[in-house]
Order: sequence, then C-alpha cells, then structure tokens
Amino acid sequence: MKHFFIDKYSEVKSPIRNLDARAKIITFFSLILLCVTTPPKALLAFGGYYLILAIMLVISKVPLSFILKRVVIAIPFILMVAAFIPFIGADVGGSYNLWGITLYQRGLLILFNVTVKALFGVAALTLLVSTTPFDELMEGLKKLGVPKVFITIASFMYRYIFVVVDETMRMKRARDSRNFEGRWIWQASAVGHMVATLFLRSYERGERVYSAMLSRGYDGEVKSLSEHPITRKDIIFTLFIISTAVLLNLSYALIKLFIGG
Amino acid sequence: MHHNKAVEIKNLHYKYPDGTSALNGVDVVIEHGETVALLGPNGAGKSTFILHLNGILRGNGEVKILGLPINGRTLKEIRRRVGLVFQDPDDQLFCPNVFEDVAFGPINMGLSKEEIVTKVNKALASVEMEGFEKRPAHHLSFGQKKRVAIASVLSMEPDMLVLDEPTSNLDPRGKGKIIEILGSLPVTKVVITHNLDEATKLCKRAIVMDEGKIVADDAIEKILSNESMLKNHGLF
Ligand SMILES: Nc1ncnc2c1ncn2[C@@H]1O[C@H](COP(=O)(O)OP(=O)(O)O)[C@@H](O)[C@H]1O
Ligand SMILES: [Mg+2]
Repeated sequence: MKHFFIDKYSEVKSPIRNLDARAKIITFFSLILLCVTTPPKALLAFGGYYLILAIMLVISKVPLSFILKRVVIAIPFILMVAAFIPFIGADVGGSYNLWGITLYQRGLLILFNVTVKALFGVAALTLLVSTTPFDELMEGLKKLGVPKVFITIASFMYRYIFVVVDETMRMKRARDSRNFEGRWIWQASAVGHMVATLFLRSYERGERVYSAMLSRGYDGEVKSLSEHPITRKDIIFTLFIISTAVLLNLSYALIKLFIGG
Repeated sequence: MHHNKAVEIKNLHYKYPDGTSALNGVDVVIEHGETVALLGPNGAGKSTFILHLNGILRGNGEVKILGLPINGRTLKEIRRRVGLVFQDPDDQLFCPNVFEDVAFGPINMGLSKEEIVTKVNKALASVEMEGFEKRPAHHLSFGQKKRVAIASVLSMEPDMLVLDEPTSNLDPRGKGKIIEILGSLPVTKVVITHNLDEATKLCKRAIVMDEGKIVADDAIEKILSNESMLKNHGLF
C-alpha cells in the first residue's frame, strides 16, 4: 500500500540535505525559539524569519506545496485556540467596530502573533524533517543528548506505523466488503472488535520482532555504528542562520533604541 | 572434519503458554552441509520447531545445535552461528535503514567498524541489494525486503541458515531470485516451504511434519513419490 511519508523528500540531494543532522536540529530549533520570543510588533523581523525559511526552501528543492500542505493542517488548531482573542475586551489599545462586533486591536495583534509564530514553527519543522532522513534525525538527536530510550521508541514507532496502518486498512477493507456500514450504534461492537484485534496483532508482532532481535544477538541495548563528523560547512551554516535570526529578534529593540521610539 | 551434527534433537516437546501443544516428540538429526526442506500443513508446528534451533523457544527434550547443548552459556554463540530468517520481513527488519538492519548482528557481535562494513557489503552483494543501504525498510518492495532479511543474517556469516517460508507471497520472479540466492550459499540449510517444486530444486532431503510430529523424513524424491502420505498430510 502507498503511504504518505513525512520524510518523502528527504532523499533529494541538496546542500541542506547534506548538512549534519545536529547542525540542522540546532539551527531550526534556535530559529523557532528566536521567532517565538520576538516582540509582537516587530513585523520586519517576522518577514526576515520567513525570508530565511524561504531561501532554505529554495536551496533544499523541497516543493513549496509540500510544506504548505503541512502548514494548512495546523491552521484549525491555531484558530481553535486563538480565534476568540480579538473579541475579548482589553483596556489598552484601540478597537474597531465591524457590523456591530467589537474587535480589539490588542487581541488582533495577539491573534496575528500566535498565527505567524505557530505557522513558522510548523513550516520550519516540516522543512527540517523533509531535508533529513528519519534515521539521521534520530542519530542527530541521540548525539545531542536525547536519552536513548526515546530514540529507540521513536525509531520503532516510525518503522512500524506504516505496518500498523496497512494492517488497519486491510481489516477495514475486509469489513467493508462484508457490507459493514458503521451507521448503527449496535455496530459499534464491530469497531471495538477491530480495535482489539489490532492491539492483539501489534502485541504479537512485538513478540516476533523481539525474537528477531534476540536471534541476531540483541542483549538489551540497541547499538549503532554511524558517526558523522561535524564539518566546517555545518558550523558556518548554523552560526550564520542563528546570528541572522538573533539580529532579527533584537531588531525591534535596536531600532527603537536608535531612533528613540 | 566435523565429528558432531549440525542439529541433534531428541524427543522435543513444546507447549505454548496458552496450553496449545505444538511439538509432541520430535527427533531430528541434520548433518553439516545438508539442505533440508521442512514440509507440512499450516499449524503443523514447523515455525515452532525452527524457533528451537537458536534457542528462542526452549522446550522439553535434548537439543544440540552445532555440537553445543543449548544453555545460557552457549546461547550467544548458537545465535551467532545459526541465522534465522522470519517469515514476515517486517518482523526481521526493525531498524531505521537497510544498512543498520544488516549491521545489527555484526554490531552485537562486537566487531570493529571496518569488519562490520565489510560484512554488510558482502551480505548485501550476495542478495543483490547493493546501493540500498540508506533506504528505510518501508520504502522497499516485498521481494526486496525478503532479500534484505536474508542479508541481515548472512552478515553474521552463520554456519547454518534457517528460513521460514522464504518465498511465500512472492511473484514467480521473486521466488526464482530467492531460490537462486539460497542455492548459492554453501551452508547447512533448513527451509520451510509449501512449494514442492522449490523444495526439489533446493533440497536432497525433506522432513514432513504434522500435528507436532515428524511423519516422514527421507530423500525428497521418495517423499514426493509417496502420494498417499502427501495427501494424508494435506500437501497434495
Ligand atoms: N504464540 C503462540 N501461542 C499459542 N499457540 C501458538 C502460538 N504460535 C503458534 N501456536 C500454535 O501452535 C501450533 C503450531 O503452530 P506453528 O508452529 O506456527 O505451525 P506452522 O508454522 O507449521 O504453520 C498451531 O496450533 C498454532 O496455533
Ligand atoms: Mg509457520
């Protein structure tokens, strides 16, 4: 069965793809952190962050549409949390009147900020994941000190999620071909049964995978070989992006300082 | 050269925790260098049996593998020297990419980096999967997964290969490829299969199991010419 892989484009050769995973993880997380901590009114800075991302996107050869699709998924979540903010009264700042509904300036600013920052985070992480194969990402996180247990769990999750999805699809198909419509409440038991079966099968698979691991000498610790040295270009890339982002982060304060706003 | 046998099993019984008795007194001797087909209907106990060949399951009875009785001290060596290939390659390939799956055994053997890389390359070459090192398993076709699964034990350079239905669910070309690969490996082999043609191509000897027992053990031509026996055990 065909799946939608989050690291679909991670094998596309590009200068970004070739960077060390650690360099990219640090860079992207710093970018997100700096973006999130930028003052709300620093419009120029936000433009700057998105520009950095856009440039990296072009270099990475990942299609814009791929990133946009992921970003769009995040929008409902953001709206769910933040959409009501502009309607809530605030004593500071002005307000607008729209057909009898009052929108508060301060609330609008917050909504704008939450949206811009959240979307930036999603876009940046999507770009990170689509320029780094999953195994390298895990390797990078491990070298950055993330506990091995988490890495092992995440790796297994990524390895087997497609297998489980396949199994679910097959079961669903078998069920549907016997005219299951899922419309009536008493058919809920069939769904429950499916879920139970899925758990059982996953459990059994777990046992078999563990046997396969034992068969090849597993003794309680997943060891791995790969060692990628950090190269000069990794360091240059990381420092360049982070320092630009730091400047953007501070730009608002700096501008104010110089022109005495 | 070898004084001992590859497999020497006497009166092996095994019951699953739920009470199913899967093996009811199995006696087998396999010589070094033999290739043996293990035939039998579904549920006969074939998979249960081969899990005893590297100590994943430990039933009641006498089990000697490559001259070593299975116990806590010999387990590690037996697992290194017996390569077990599971039926579903998704069980066998659990690492983030092909290289790591094939390197998993050698890494656990504590080899040096150079040795590991050499063994991985050699194993991938013998199943014609060079160049797939960085691929995650879920980006491989089923036939490719089966071949990488075989490579994942070849990299340990086992003295004995044990394969659970290595050609099941493959198209004819994929089957042919696996048979060709297995034929080219000069080690003791135990192969579970439902395909009598393949068994003939690969093996001189066949063992038939049913209901947890060995019901026939002979030269493969003799087994295949005994139609009434094959019919009795749902193989024909
Ligand atoms: N994990 C298990 N728990 C309980 N019973 C099992 C388990 N695995 C297999 N069995 C049972 O043991 C018997 C032999 O199964 P198996 O060795 O898988 O047969 P084969 O590989 O020849 O098809 C069957 O009756 C099967 O249902
Ligand atoms: Mg079986």
